[in-house]
Amino acid sequence: MKSLFQYLKEVFLGFYSLWTGLKLTLYYFTHPRKEIITEQYPENRTTTINIPERFAGEVILPHDENNKHKCTACTLCEMACPNGSIKIISVQEESEDGKKKRVLDKWIYNLGMCTFCGQCIDACPQDAIIMKNSFELSVYNRNDLVKTLNKPGSKLKEKE
Amino acid sequence: MIGFSDITKWIHDSLSSALSPGWVLASEFVLAGIAVILIVVVLVVVMIYMERKVAGFMQLRLGPHRVGPWGTMQVFADVFKLLLKESFAPNSVDKFLFNLAPILVLAVSFMALAPISWAPGLQLWDMNIGILYITAVSSIGVIGILMAGWSSNNKYSLLGAMRSGAQIVSYELSAGLSIVAVIAMCGSLSVHDIIMSQADGWWIFKGHLPILFAFIVYVIAGTAEVNRAPFDLAEAESELTAGYHTEYSGMQFGMFYLTEYINMVVIAMIGSTVFLGGWMPFHIYGFDAFNGVMDYIPSFVWFFGKIFMIIFFMMWFRWTFPRLRIDQLLKLEWKYLLPLSIVNVVIVAFITVMKWHF
Amino acid sequence: MSASAIMFYIVGALVLTFGILTVFTRKIFRAAVYLLLSLIGIAGIYILMDMQFVAALQIVIYVGGIVVLIIFSIFLTHSAGERLPSRLPKHLFWAVFLAATGLLLSAHVIYQFNYVASTIAPIEHSVKNIGEQLIDFRKYGYVFPFEVVSILLLSAMIGSIVIAMKTKKQ
Ligand code: SF4
Ligand code: SF4
Repeated sequence: MKSLFQYLKEVFLGFYSLWTGLKLTLYYFTHPRKEIITEQYPENRTTTINIPERFAGEVILPHDENNKHKCTACTLCEMACPNGSIKIISVQEESEDGKKKRVLDKWIYNLGMCTFCGQCIDACPQDAIIMKNSFELSVYNRNDLVKTLNKPGSKLKEKE
Repeated sequence: MIGFSDITKWIHDSLSSALSPGWVLASEFVLAGIAVILIVVVLVVVMIYMERKVAGFMQLRLGPHRVGPWGTMQVFADVFKLLLKESFAPNSVDKFLFNLAPILVLAVSFMALAPISWAPGLQLWDMNIGILYITAVSSIGVIGILMAGWSSNNKYSLLGAMRSGAQIVSYELSAGLSIVAVIAMCGSLSVHDIIMSQADGWWIFKGHLPILFAFIVYVIAGTAEVNRAPFDLAEAESELTAGYHTEYSGMQFGMFYLTEYINMVVIAMIGSTVFLGGWMPFHIYGFDAFNGVMDYIPSFVWFFGKIFMIIFFMMWFRWTFPRLRIDQLLKLEWKYLLPLSIVNVVIVAFITVMKWHF
Repeated sequence: MSASAIMFYIVGALVLTFGILTVFTRKIFRAAVYLLLSLIGIAGIYILMDMQFVAALQIVIYVGGIVVLIIFSIFLTHSAGERLPSRLPKHLFWAVFLAATGLLLSAHVIYQFNYVASTIAPIEHSVKNIGEQLIDFRKYGYVFPFEVVSILLLSAMIGSIVIAMKTKKQ
């Protein structure tokens, strides 16, 4: 008797859980205006296009308003990159009190070899680099894909 | 109002005045065949468009919307593409069976349409075993699938065909038993009699809970019989590429595609005929004024409305549920649907004997 | 010759052709398919005799059930796609001998039997009548064979359960 009850309960629970799913899709079906998220891309690229904030597009090195970035040239990102698309070029620099220090000279990023895996972002101890949500990245000349991310004359931001 | 029987009678009379009886019969066969094929093809075109739109909306997409206004021309473009493609047969297939299989499945699904009653007075063949004929004929379809899978000489095709065979053979039982529930109450297998017995209310309302349960079982088993998701293990594209029609291209693939949709139409037609009264308008016993108003809606609107309702259910299932595993599939049939429908048939028989139904 | 006689000969010829092909083809899967087509032809003959119910049962049982099972067992044997080897002369001799004996015997019986036109009025063969006849215990009722067959089926079912049952290891 108990097993029969268990059996019928299973059947009803099964129907209930199926109904939960059906309800959701029915809601989507009856509210197309509200819910549809398709982007009609080429037409709306200048108007209503909505690319989510965390979309992983190209890697950038943000600079603040004083033209300062956070990269310490530790090359951890270069080692983390599985495709070798990052090259960090650093120079030795002597500060006023005579200490020698490595600072970033060129942060070279080869977009053509990047697979947008985001491992460089994870590897960076300073959170100096992020991925922008831009996606129209094609260029006419292959050399344009190799970019220097740090702006000319930019400096390392001091820790507060 | 001109009924369909007047139109058919007019055609018959005008043919008889011009031709001898044998030729009248022959030309009427041809005309009826062309009419059925045309209706079905139009239905299938509408269904393919509907399927894509429903799928799109349920998955938060737009569906086809570039070819023609709201994408309505997309289906025609696809059919045209299939017509232009070469029907290619790989080297080591069994050529005879490989070419026979799509024709067989398509012919079988058209044959199942013979006893369907489309509207009052519009029925090709009113057999006294109409419903049994449909179940019998549609069971030949599985042979076509097995044939396609075996002759393709390909592991995926063979696996798909075997899954499909196991699935159709087992789900036929509970689909049959759920139809038997209604047959027991109305006491006839003929499509016409079943529809006429619902003049004072559809069986799904007249037959209390057991018939409602039978309807649910029928829709589940029917979805499984046409190999649609969530029961699409036979063509599971993520595991078997396309199952039994992996090796087919061009219009031979098109035939399998067409067959899937015609089978859906057939399942929906049987469901609407047996449970929802076919072309019979919505009648409630005793409310004559209400029934009179309902009669003003033409019968084919009722029939196609019901068909598309069931088809919408099937699409809704397809785009909601994930695919079952083979053991879950067989468990669902043999541990749940079949025992429950056998108990259901016993209850229905009891109700019928006691005359508790309306 | 009437149209139905022509139809009968066409369908009969098809049944015989597919029957012969079933026996003589070298590919086992094709043999199953030919068998299927021949069985469908027999259903066609039933329809010509206006026995739609029997025709439908023929298709449900043989085509939907038995041939599918045969095909399944063919799939489960390996090398199902290869041509079967040709028979040994010894086997060929016995096959021809047995077939010829069977043919002669049945031909003999058929020729000995003198057919008389039946005087019993034809029964209306609606599904309802067939069903009532099947479980009728009066004259011409079939309830006894029906029950015997169900016992046979029951024993087959129990047998398959016994075979499929897992034996508990002590
Ligand atoms: S996203 Fe991946 S591939 Fe691209 S630069 Fe970073 S680590 Fe390299
Ligand atoms: S971007 Fe980050 S990980 Fe890469 S060199 Fe600069 S500080 Fe190091």
